Amino acid sequence: MRQLLALGMVLISLGLGSELSYGQRDPNARCLLECHGTSDFKREVAPGQFKSLYVDYEQFKTSVHKDKLCIDCHTDVTAIPHQRRPEQIHCLQCHYQGNVVGAPVSERPEKYKESVHGKAFARGDPNAPDCKHCHTVHSVRAPTDPLSPVYRANIPKTCGSCHIEIYTEYLESVHGQALRNNILESAVCSDCHREHDLFPPDDPRSSLHPQNVANTCARCHADVKIMERRGVPVKQVEAFKKSFHGIAIEFEVLKSANCVSCHGYHKILSSRDPRSPIYPLNLANTCGQCHPNASENVARGRFHIIPSDPGAGIVFWVYEFYRWLTIVMTAGFIFYIVLDLYGRWRHARRGSHG
Amino acid sequence: MADSANEERLVHELQRELERELDRSLDDAELQRVKELVRAQLEAELRAKQRRIAREKEQAEEYFVRFSLNVCLQHLVLAIGVILLTITGLPIKFHDSAWAEFIFRHIWSLEVNRIIHRVGASLLMFVTVWHIGWLMTREGRRELRELLPRVKDLWDFIANVKFMLGLSSERPKFGRYSYSEKFEYWALVWGTAVMVLSGLMLWFHRITLAYLPKYIFDVALQAHSGEALLAILALITWHMYHAHLNPEVFPMNMTIFTGKISKKRMIEEHPLEYEQIMRERAGAERP
Repeated sequence: MRQLLALGMVLISLGLGSELSYGQRDPNARCLLECHGTSDFKREVAPGQFKSLYVDYEQFKTSVHKDKLCIDCHTDVTAIPHQRRPEQIHCLQCHYQGNVVGAPVSERPEKYKESVHGKAFARGDPNAPDCKHCHTVHSVRAPTDPLSPVYRANIPKTCGSCHIEIYTEYLESVHGQALRNNILESAVCSDCHREHDLFPPDDPRSSLHPQNVANTCARCHADVKIMERRGVPVKQVEAFKKSFHGIAIEFEVLKSANCVSCHGYHKILSSRDPRSPIYPLNLANTCGQCHPNASENVARGRFHIIPSDPGAGIVFWVYEFYRWLTIVMTAGFIFYIVLDLYGRWRHARRGSHG
Repeated sequence: MADSANEERLVHELQRELERELDRSLDDAELQRVKELVRAQLEAELRAKQRRIAREKEQAEEYFVRFSLNVCLQHLVLAIGVILLTITGLPIKFHDSAWAEFIFRHIWSLEVNRIIHRVGASLLMFVTVWHIGWLMTREGRRELRELLPRVKDLWDFIANVKFMLGLSSERPKFGRYSYSEKFEYWALVWGTAVMVLSGLMLWFHRITLAYLPKYIFDVALQAHSGEALLAILALITWHMYHAHLNPEVFPMNMTIFTGKISKKRMIEEHPLEYEQIMRERAGAERP
């Protein structure tokens, strides 16, 4: 530790000559001036292995915490330079219900604790992400800030920093491609997986539980405005819910197909893309996952049809035929019955008088 | 008691009338003869009345066998099958409704629903095969001939509508099967054909999708759904009226379960058949 401090002092004296991004009157200046403002300020964690202790103050001053002091969070630092290594700090030391420093509070940390990430973290999984892994440490920015790692366009990259294979798959998908083309309303990881309340798919609370998948997709795919802008049909989810698969899923037959069973998930591709599981030539295989005898016949017909919609083609005409036949026949039956009753009543009345 | 008073009154009247005509009192012997005459007449009247009551009673109790046991059993199996199919088919068709949701969440699951539906379907197909086999028997062939639509049915229908509107005073005379019964039979034949054919395509969808394009499968599904609703509505209007709510048979026409129809209803509803049976009987009685 002493060596480290000595090193720090040396570095500071070197750094003094350089341009400083903070004013000498800044209350945080002492932390930075003496040690943490120097880009190669570091600690040897193991022989030959270093951990940077540098804080990019320029980034900090544009973060949501720009008005905070270092010691507001690092509360155990009472003297500078500090004698011991400060304790790990956590967002929840301010962001809790009833805090007096005005830190915004939401249910998100509680949701996070229930999530796959939160549970893995609680188990002590070293790879599990905590708040800081997505929100960063010293440069926390609002999700609306394009520089924030949790800004829509940056979310796939943020998640991808751990889930690298899924990230590459996603980038190839229609959603990933659209996002790359700056279409921000395209789906990113958190639109489907959610961010804080992220549960495994077999958990009924999960947005990706078989019974919730269609509704999750519907958040965008049933939105007329978004789908019109993107030129994507909007009634697919509604049609699915009316289909055998949709009814089965709704009433607990979870093995039935949902959206992702056919469309895939991270690498969702257009039906015009030969790599897509819903490319007409691939449909026999895709349906064949559940229906072993499926042949190329499954591609001969429209998908996601709503019988009452003219887009359903021949099915629409069958629907119309039966609709009118039923109306005409039932009206005829009722008319005949009323007539018959009237005839009998008339006859009975005349009979009793005659 | 009442009869003896009646008798006394009649004797008295006759006595007075005779006395007025003869202009003298009747002697005892003459009065005795009058009394005997009145008694004999009253007794004859009473016997005639008893005979009439007995004949009416006999006519009311006399019945004809309208359907064989075979036909009654076919109807019973068909009815059970259709009821099972209806109660499990409707919640699928109206899966969005609150009652369908209630059934599937609290009464029976979708998986159980599917099994019951297929049990009902099996009963329907079983009775279909049975019926086709029966149609080949002598009885079946005769019944089929009676069920064939004829031009007379059209005239009967028109005449019946006229009668009901009061444009004519007489009901048309029906044979063994009236036009409404024939209509229901052929509607059932058509409905069963559509339902069984489309239903089998849905039940064995793996085979269907192996050999037929998806749009044919979709058409089968839509036809199954459309025809089902039509059939159910026909049952709860046409069939319910003719077999239950009709004042003639309310609350329930038991003929299809017992096979029996009263002579009274036979004469009213199937006069031509009745006449024919009577002719045949008369012919059989004559050597």
